Amino acid sequence: MIQALRWLAAICAVGVVLAWFALGAHRGWTKTSVAIEKIDPVTEIVGYEMQSRFVPGVDFLVVGLGGSAGIFVLSLVLSKFLTKKNHP
Amino acid sequence: MKKTLLTLTAAAVAVSAHAETLTFDFKDPKGVNNVSFLADAPLESIHGLASGVSGTVTIDTDKPAEAKGKIVVATESLKVPNPTMQEHLLGKDWLNAKAHPEITFEIKKISDIEREGNKGSADVTGTFTLNGVSKEITVEAKVTYLPGRLAERSPTKTPGDLLVIRSEFSIKRSDFNIQPGKNLDKVSDEIEIELAIAGAAPKS
Repeated sequence: MIQALRWLAAICAVGVVLAWFALGAHRGWTKTSVAIEKIDPVTEIVGYEMQSRFVPGVDFLVVGLGGSAGIFVLSLVLSKFLTKKNHP
Repeated sequence: MKKTLLTLTAAAVAVSAHAETLTFDFKDPKGVNNVSFLADAPLESIHGLASGVSGTVTIDTDKPAEAKGKIVVATESLKVPNPTMQEHLLGKDWLNAKAHPEITFEIKKISDIEREGNKGSADVTGTFTLNGVSKEITVEAKVTYLPGRLAERSPTKTPGDLLVIRSEFSIKRSDFNIQPGKNLDKVSDEIEIELAIAGAAPKS
């Protein structure tokens, strides 16, 4: 159980970092849409079209790594609790 | 005598055909018209876009200083890429989009016109209304008049002219009662606005 929690924490941490890198390693806030440029050939106006796209930012990293750390801390607490229970 | 009269009539027609009063509609069916805004903020600047542009400008091509009109941006059309920011932006503590559904600029005066062919620039003074607060501001605008080019943009090949307006200016959000003196560590007081819009004047 404790080992499983520690593995889960490690997998979550690695997964969050990999996902952040794979989706653009954006160092700002998480975006759920991005502006795509389109140029009108007649007026030469550069217009933008908002497209739905998930771009994780540093807040995604903080929440993801924080969650992983939380799971790891939980495994430590459980480990101490079980040690005390088995060896009173 | 007859020849002179014909020449004068032709000249009068030519002058009247040249000096036209045109009304340009800025509701763009192609969805290219846009207004963008940039606010400085920690971590990264907030870059937003507004696409819901409408309004009209009436202009006499020979007397551009007398142009009148109003550009309207639907507040709900303002978009920022982060969903939480989007909610806050349109919420009642910031732009209060439900109570103030439009951001407008109404032209009052045009001065310092510089013209070169179909392009020109001018200082445009008008009433800018944001968050229900109206304030007179002067912005520099660059204008391009594209006679007979509407058909190239129109799916129905409607003949007519185009007027392209570009402008960059900045405002202080505190002047428009948007969280005055508050959250300055999160969003700067100064907001940069960039506008690039095209209006169409169809001719039958």
